[in-house]
Amino acid sequence: MAKSIIVYVNDIPVKIYQGMQVKHALISYDYSLYKSCENGDIRVFDENGFEVGLDGALHEGAKIYTKNIREG
Amino acid sequence: MKRILNLLIIFILIFLLSSTLYSQVPSIDLTILHINDFHGRLLPYTVKSISEKIPVSGVAYLAQMINEERSKNPEGTILLSAGDMFQGTPQSNIFRGEPVVEIMNYLKFDAMAVGNHEFDWGQEVLQKLSSISNFPYLSANIVDKDGKYLPYLKPYVIIERKGLKIAIIGLTTPETAYITKPDYVKDLKFLDPVEILPNIIDDVRNKGANLVVVLSHLGFDADKELAEKVSGIDVIVGGHSHTVVTNPVVVRGVIITQAGYNGIYLGVLEIKIQPETNIILGYTRENELKTVFAGPENKFDEKVAQIVDKYNSQLKEEFAKVVGETLVDLVRNYNEESNVGNVICDAMREAVSADIAFQNSGGIRTDIQKGPITMELVYTLLPFDNVLVTMDLTGKQILQLLEQSATLQKGILQQSGLKVKYDMTKPVGQRVVEVFVGDKPLELDKVYKVVTNDFLAAGGDNFVTFKEGKNLVYGDMLRDVFIEYLKKHSPISPKVEGRSIIIK
Repeated sequence: MAKSIIVYVNDIPVKIYQGMQVKHALISYDYSLYKSCENGDIRVFDENGFEVGLDGALHEGAKIYTKNIREG
Repeated sequence: MKRILNLLIIFILIFLLSSTLYSQVPSIDLTILHINDFHGRLLPYTVKSISEKIPVSGVAYLAQMINEERSKNPEGTILLSAGDMFQGTPQSNIFRGEPVVEIMNYLKFDAMAVGNHEFDWGQEVLQKLSSISNFPYLSANIVDKDGKYLPYLKPYVIIERKGLKIAIIGLTTPETAYITKPDYVKDLKFLDPVEILPNIIDDVRNKGANLVVVLSHLGFDADKELAEKVSGIDVIVGGHSHTVVTNPVVVRGVIITQAGYNGIYLGVLEIKIQPETNIILGYTRENELKTVFAGPENKFDEKVAQIVDKYNSQLKEEFAKVVGETLVDLVRNYNEESNVGNVICDAMREAVSADIAFQNSGGIRTDIQKGPITMELVYTLLPFDNVLVTMDLTGKQILQLLEQSATLQKGILQQSGLKVKYDMTKPVGQRVVEVFVGDKPLELDKVYKVVTNDFLAAGGDNFVTFKEGKNLVYGDMLRDVFIEYLKKHSPISPKVEGRSIIIK
């Protein structure tokens, strides 16, 4: 059974379940931001600075950051 | 000043000498081509952040790039997948991954790690896919209940290129045990990679492996942890976190990379190896991922394009197939009970024997006229790739969800298993005036088994109480559950029957 985990979106803690993905963290954090990511206006990066896909797996304590594509 | 000049000359001489020596060391050039998390993405699509004009991905274009890269080092190239290859698009899902296998066979993949989504259709389907694949499915940390490897999975494979023995060891995220429908991973154990890997590495080294490549479906951060904790790995080719590792990262001498997702990128890791010592003399440090563009100027592999076309034609036939029949029009109602919402929720509740099912009104995307229901109509009705999520919620939490539903911020919750009376003349937070579960009043302290979809389970549409569930279990895709329900119960004639009564 999957338990709750905390991940961080733009350094704000967000509660999701194990097995959930980047998109779920964004839905939980701010649905309009998620839609912007889905539309491709916003990109998501991990704490190493690498871009991650919306279906990418997350783990307890994972940190993701959003960035407008116009910011480069 | 003269002394500084002398030192500078000495440094320059040492540098020139070492460069000359380095260039004279004989080396073997290997190329590791890799993809991961392909998710059945056969056709190109637009990714705005890469290009608004030129589509990316598309397996025929990816294949062309693989051919071209392989031709640069035909004797020294290996082609790997780090898992999650099949599930994700209708083109692959309808045929349970077979188009992807056919293309991987044609491209002569050397090995594939088993990802968690490889279990999305159960072990029988995975076993069948393995049996028709010309390459091994790898996972060193999946065993049966007796601790033995499964007959259709290998822990590793040793491949020879240019006289070098290259061990490819597969790893699967241990999370697979609880993020997959339980029936599909029944009797399987997912072992801790950090614990099992040292013995496997000893094993392959004893068998003469010169290079150890871990083909990991663990996620990028877990790959870094693996490199920190386990000795003897040379390269980790990863997947699972969909990370676009443009420049490989080195942790304790281990080269770690990952090629994003959906076949948008091909990883091209070139390695120079000193043959006597097996020391890695050099590797691709920058721009290791090549973007697969699919514009009119880009070449594609014609044979792969033919395979894609073949399945696309078959997909049209599959989409035209009738999967059920309705005797009444199925009509949505965003802010009130609807017969289509009722039948979808009935299907969800029946699939997992839950007390209650909830579906967001916004997730139901079309009305359906009475008559036959085709596969295509079901995809139009439920276009999102949502899976069922079952959890335990208390009566109090269910009441909170219904109060949120009564705000109508994001439409009413469609449901099965309840009879709810909303009084919209009352203030927000006090609008749910009567709730029955079956024929019994809702008990605030009682725990109920509730099924919903993963969007709502993440707190989507502001239904945040779903994030407080206990004993969460993932299930099948909602669309597949609905299709099975239609096949079993057609002709259907769902009604608006007073499940959600609204006093206005």
